Amino acid sequence: MRAYRALLRKDLLLEWRGRELVPAMLAFVLGAMVLVRFGLGGETLAGGTRAATGLLWVIVVFTSMLALVRSFAQEREHGIWDGLLSTPADRSAIWAARATATFLFLAVTQAVALPLFWLFFLQEGRSPSLGVLVAALLLADLGVAMLGSLLAGLATHVRAREVLLPVMFLPFMLPLVTVAVRLTVDTISPQTSGLHTSQGLGFLALYDTIFGLLGWALFEYVVED
Amino acid sequence: MVIGSRRARPDGATVAATATAVLMALALAMIFFYVPTDVDQGYSQRIFYFHVPIAMTTYTLFAWSAVNAARYLWRRDPSLDLKSYVPMHLGVIFGSLTLATGSLWAKISWGHWWFWGDTQLTTFLIIFLFNCAYFMLRFSVEPGERRATYSAVYALLGVGLIPLSVLGVRFAQRNELIHPITFNSNGANMDGSMFLTFLVALAAMLSLAVTMYLVELRGKRIDDRIRAIRRLAEARA
Amino acid sequence: MSSPDPAIRCDAVSRRYGERLALDRVTLRVDDGERVLLTGGNGAGKTTLLRMLATVLRPHGGALHVAGHPLPREARRVRPLVGYLGHEPLVYPGLTAGENLELYAALQAVPADRAGAALELVGLDRRRGDLASDLSRGMRQRLALARAVLHRPRILLLDEPTTGLDDDGRERLRGLLAAHDGTAVISTHEPEWFHTLGVRRVALAEGRIA
Repeated sequence: MRAYRALLRKDLLLEWRGRELVPAMLAFVLGAMVLVRFGLGGETLAGGTRAATGLLWVIVVFTSMLALVRSFAQEREHGIWDGLLSTPADRSAIWAARATATFLFLAVTQAVALPLFWLFFLQEGRSPSLGVLVAALLLADLGVAMLGSLLAGLATHVRAREVLLPVMFLPFMLPLVTVAVRLTVDTISPQTSGLHTSQGLGFLALYDTIFGLLGWALFEYVVED
Repeated sequence: MVIGSRRARPDGATVAATATAVLMALALAMIFFYVPTDVDQGYSQRIFYFHVPIAMTTYTLFAWSAVNAARYLWRRDPSLDLKSYVPMHLGVIFGSLTLATGSLWAKISWGHWWFWGDTQLTTFLIIFLFNCAYFMLRFSVEPGERRATYSAVYALLGVGLIPLSVLGVRFAQRNELIHPITFNSNGANMDGSMFLTFLVALAAMLSLAVTMYLVELRGKRIDDRIRAIRRLAEARA
Repeated sequence: MSSPDPAIRCDAVSRRYGERLALDRVTLRVDDGERVLLTGGNGAGKTTLLRMLATVLRPHGGALHVAGHPLPREARRVRPLVGYLGHEPLVYPGLTAGENLELYAALQAVPADRAGAALELVGLDRRRGDLASDLSRGMRQRLALARAVLHRPRILLLDEPTTGLDDDGRERLRGLLAAHDGTAVISTHEPEWFHTLGVRRVALAEGRIA
């Protein structure tokens, strides 16, 4: 537990000093929204707030990719893995600390992005339920962070890492986005599917549990050589 | 007991190939001459006897790949890496066939080559993308222990992905369920002769997969041996 | 605490990188308290051997025991006993010298105040608040040394420890090694420098004991 706290503190401290990731993610998310607004919408987005909410999820996934590609960048670039791995600290603590940091970066980015999203897309029409949207975003961020940290570890020693990581990551986003979109769009009345909010959130929680367990169990194999 | 081999005992691949030939011939005969035409969907429904067994075989191949991936991480035996890689590779072939037969069937019964509302088709697409990523990962790492480990870890992630995809896609598209339901909680949704034909077709596909598995495994082993011999020869030179 | 097990026992240990053989059936025994110098040209396998002893690389063949524990199975028990100094300093450039050592103290599960003592040992106590990226090459090497001995390991594994060190740094290294009564395995290109420390030389060439 002490190792986990120290590693998390390290990740947050490095981000605070270097300001490498969160500003880039914010700029990206803003750019993506503007692009969507002009690319698909014109005056008002065709398809209204439903389409906008779906697009929000696509933007969320692509933004999270920025964070994942930079995961373990310091360890890789400065060869620090040998240092971490020669200590008796649990390998799963390294994974958990990285996942927590990624989760926090995603949540911070979305805390800024969500009001902008409302400003850009939702003013004119009926909005999805904010509570459900926030809950779904947090659950999805958790899954993305836990799965993504494992995949980032997997991509550490691979050729063309920056290309491969998104390729490995995207198939796992499909069930997540499918459910999350349905879940959040359905809070805009009238409801279009029989999916209940509790079922949808339950699915996201199940997703987190499964990839949490897999990440926790498999990370050791990924980093040990 | 001597079947197509000069030695006293035939090997596994020969037995499997023979069984496949017999079962496949039987399945084809039953599909085209024995089973009655479906009342609702007509003659084209016969594609069902290819499509569903192929899809089930694909799932079986992935499951076998994942089992061997877990065994590899446990025992670190390079032959288990091959036994995880080969079914994954065959899974792509059978998966593509599933998509192709499914698409054909969709065209015939619904008039479109692709229907996004269909849960099974969408799920298979996710699995197909997962597969492509597996191969990209595998071919981005030098052969050796690291490649085997990475492949095994990614294959095991599929154990999480595939059920979640089935569940998630089904959840989200519940109101648009049009895929024919073959099995439900009461068992098979078919009459006797259809079910029998289906079982024979399934056995034929599974035994085809086993044959291909054994043959490819043997080929890969020969490749490895040749590479080892070449390395040895280079070291001597 | 004398145990019948030697500090290090390698029996025909091999390691591949991809398909290249980096270590070829190396057999080596290092007794408790003994100091061994690994010599040999580039690519001889010195770093590979040290990294395996530091439990960051698993052997692909043969049997490897450190302090009587088989690797990689009981790596967890070996890790607190070894201190590894690698090619890279293994510290975060964006953290200060002190923060780096406090992080490693947490990972090693030793008290955080060991960081100060270790910095003093290598003469970096006045640079504690400096970012590692602001330290010179030699200073970073000292920090790396402090990191390696932070948890007072019984077995030191040092990969070319003199690299980048000035005269003062070298004297501190010599003093540190003289005071260390445990085992040490050191790879180096300048074996003469270690003469006074009573070492046994082991030469490696192309992954084998020469």
